[in-house]
Amino acid sequence: MTATPLETHSTPSIRRYFGWSTDHKVIGIQYLVTTFAFFLLGGAMAILVRTELFAPGADLVNGTEYNRLMTNHGSVMLFLWIIPVLAGLGNYLVPLMIGARDMAFPRMNALSYWLLFVAGIVMIASFFVGAAESGWTAYVPLSVEAPSGQTLWAISVILLGTSSMLGAINFLTTITTMRAEGMTFMRLPLFVWSMIATSLLALLATPVLTVGLVLIALDRVVGTVFFTVAQGGDPILWQNLFWFYSHPAVYIMVLPAMGIVSEVLPVFSRKPIFGYAMIAFSSIAISLLGITVWAHHMFTSGMDPRLRVPFMISSMIIAVPTGVKIFSWLATVWEGKLRFNTPMLFALGFISMFLIGGITGIFLASIPVDLHVHDSYFTVAHLHFVLFGGSVFAVYAGLYYWYPKITGRMYDERLGKSHFWLNFAGTNLTYLPMFVAGLLGMPRRVADYAPEFTLVNQLATVGSLLLAVSTLPFLYNVVVSWVTGPKAGDNPWGAKTLEWQTSSPPPEHNFLELPVVTGMPYDFGEPRRTPAASPAGAAD
Amino acid sequence: MKGRTLLVVSIIFGVALVCGYLVAANVNLLPEVASTRGELMQRLFNSLLGAATVVFVLVEGLLVYSVIRFRRRAGDGGEGVAVHGNTALEVFWTAIPALLVVVIAVYSFRVLSASEAETEKPMVVEVIGRQFSWEFRYPEQGLTSSDLHLPVSEPVRFEITSEDVIHSFWVPNFLAKRDATPGQVSEFAVTPSEIGVFPVRCAELCGPGHAAMVSQVIVETPEEFDAWVERMASLPGNSTEAGRLLFGRYGCTGCHVLADAGANGLIGPSLEGIGTRAGETVAGLDADAYLRQSILEPNVHLVPTYLEKIMPADFATRIPPQELDLLVTYLAGR
Repeated sequence: MTATPLETHSTPSIRRYFGWSTDHKVIGIQYLVTTFAFFLLGGAMAILVRTELFAPGADLVNGTEYNRLMTNHGSVMLFLWIIPVLAGLGNYLVPLMIGARDMAFPRMNALSYWLLFVAGIVMIASFFVGAAESGWTAYVPLSVEAPSGQTLWAISVILLGTSSMLGAINFLTTITTMRAEGMTFMRLPLFVWSMIATSLLALLATPVLTVGLVLIALDRVVGTVFFTVAQGGDPILWQNLFWFYSHPAVYIMVLPAMGIVSEVLPVFSRKPIFGYAMIAFSSIAISLLGITVWAHHMFTSGMDPRLRVPFMISSMIIAVPTGVKIFSWLATVWEGKLRFNTPMLFALGFISMFLIGGITGIFLASIPVDLHVHDSYFTVAHLHFVLFGGSVFAVYAGLYYWYPKITGRMYDERLGKSHFWLNFAGTNLTYLPMFVAGLLGMPRRVADYAPEFTLVNQLATVGSLLLAVSTLPFLYNVVVSWVTGPKAGDNPWGAKTLEWQTSSPPPEHNFLELPVVTGMPYDFGEPRRTPAASPAGAAD
Repeated sequence: MKGRTLLVVSIIFGVALVCGYLVAANVNLLPEVASTRGELMQRLFNSLLGAATVVFVLVEGLLVYSVIRFRRRAGDGGEGVAVHGNTALEVFWTAIPALLVVVIAVYSFRVLSASEAETEKPMVVEVIGRQFSWEFRYPEQGLTSSDLHLPVSEPVRFEITSEDVIHSFWVPNFLAKRDATPGQVSEFAVTPSEIGVFPVRCAELCGPGHAAMVSQVIVETPEEFDAWVERMASLPGNSTEAGRLLFGRYGCTGCHVLADAGANGLIGPSLEGIGTRAGETVAGLDADAYLRQSILEPNVHLVPTYLEKIMPADFATRIPPQELDLLVTYLAGR
């Protein structure tokens, strides 16, 4: 037991990343690399969409091709990038952060990844038989009438949902049963709390989507009539099933992102996180409230008008726990000694961008406003500020932050910063004009638009090209630094959470000796309250 | 340090309030409002925009201030202040947003109730969505149109449905929309408040021609509206004029190009000079037969590069025979 793990650690073979492995760190990296490839694919589709929209008229693609690009851009970004990349980070980090040797069910963990891999192949394959073209929301009856690719799309999303549910079971079991000695719930890093909240949601909501997808697949393949109006089917049923999952899915995509921000801010502010308990509980509050808001996507549909008001109220209440997090983060950086390394820039960028997404969410929750802006470009702008300005910024923060842990080497700070500033400018230039377009009357998911929307669309297209370019310094940095970057050491940021108390990269079973936790994960700052208390997790 | 913190936060909050007020009072991001419910919604929207600006400036202001003021100075390897929390402060910033949210919810509810209050005897217009055109039926006037004509200041109730997939009937200048769902009728009421011509757009993805599923609302004086109803009730004696009128009435202008009828749609093939080539397009069909079949069964002889199933295929059930004759004759003469 003494020599073997060290040896494995010192001679990591790249081949293990290309096959079946039950090591959560290998699986984590498999997730990260695979999902980033899908991010690039989804991004390429977005660039085609934005190029088509640079000017009015059908320039590049026709209506059907446009709908396929737009549908698969959304599906790939949500189901094959944001949700699984966060699961990948969780995979890599949760056992390390709680002082465990691996996940509770290592083989099921590998299965989660390989389901994702197969699902990705299925979604790409759909392009060869006429890809899905009904939007990522796949509203019936349009999606029931679509070409064969829609069936593959449904199968792919069912597989991804299954992967996500297995992952959620694994995270919850791991976190409840495999914490190191002394790692009480109230000493858990906030990223781990966010994984609890996310996993609860995934477990509660995903089965409902799966049921809906099975019904669509049956209608398409077997000829059932769940959604065929002429034979008594109900199109609104799908909207309920779909949004019961897909609104909580937004929190599945945002809660771990918030967890990353809560890890990064204290380390680079050299201060404890402000209001640890409130941040942890607000994650749980968001996930519980999150399953009561789905019908705010249906205010303009034929739902019972009286039911709209309770959904408006529940949707708006989500702003309260979200506000708690934002104010707690502000108080965390207040009077800190801020270091602007790339992870910190992306974390601060997250706060400033996600804020816009959050505030505009209140507009959409307000029924009279929603009746105007629903399904307009206002909604497109809102969701991209939440998921790109929010989730993706946080993912980048996390990737830079844990890069030295994962690779043992330090990335190039100058390239990182140029990546951030290009991204920050590109995000605002792409998505801010979309608010204006939507308010003035431009519907979403259109391949063409009235000439009065030309300027805002051109700004958005230029912004999207900036975003595409911004990916280059990141890719170059990640690949080149892995080979030639300076050795980072075990804990270059002086962080206190357990993953930094082992070597970089960590040995096969994470810790040569399991740590004993004696304090909070964010005990930064001076003067210390009790000078004798040792930092969290320092193994003796 | 505490007094200084309070001062800085107060100053930023003060600036945020001023910005919020200025934005609410001066910034208009909405299109020209042409309905009474739109006016209510505009006031709500501008108030929300003001409140949003206050929150935005406050948070971004604190963030930017922190970034400048609390950055690590060169050579300072020290730590920040070991503050773990402050219960009173945390309760405060939970309660204030909660209060704000309650106010917004109540205000939104009041606007909703006011804009959906029942009016006495509104005029009914049935709105039918189909891939990819709108049809407006006036049961009281007994007519059907592809443009929506409305008398100003008179309440109208839309009864909205679809004949195929889900569409959404959106008049941006009314600041409201409602989905057209097959198998059910959704209602909403407006009172147009401005005379003018405004776009109608489809807001729910409905297929390859979604972007082209547009029409227009013509809000006019009651006299103009009555004159329009009268014009619609009968066709002109001149067959060219009648054909031109039918070409517009059945929505052909939305997708095709034909200068004579003022049509410059981009979805379907151009019909400029159609009369001269209609007889030679498909072997065995003369101009009359080709035009007739292209209207009634548009997917049989597709013009190359144009997509299948874009043009409505149900004209056989909608066009009376004599009107079809007039339309075919009109096109044969172009």
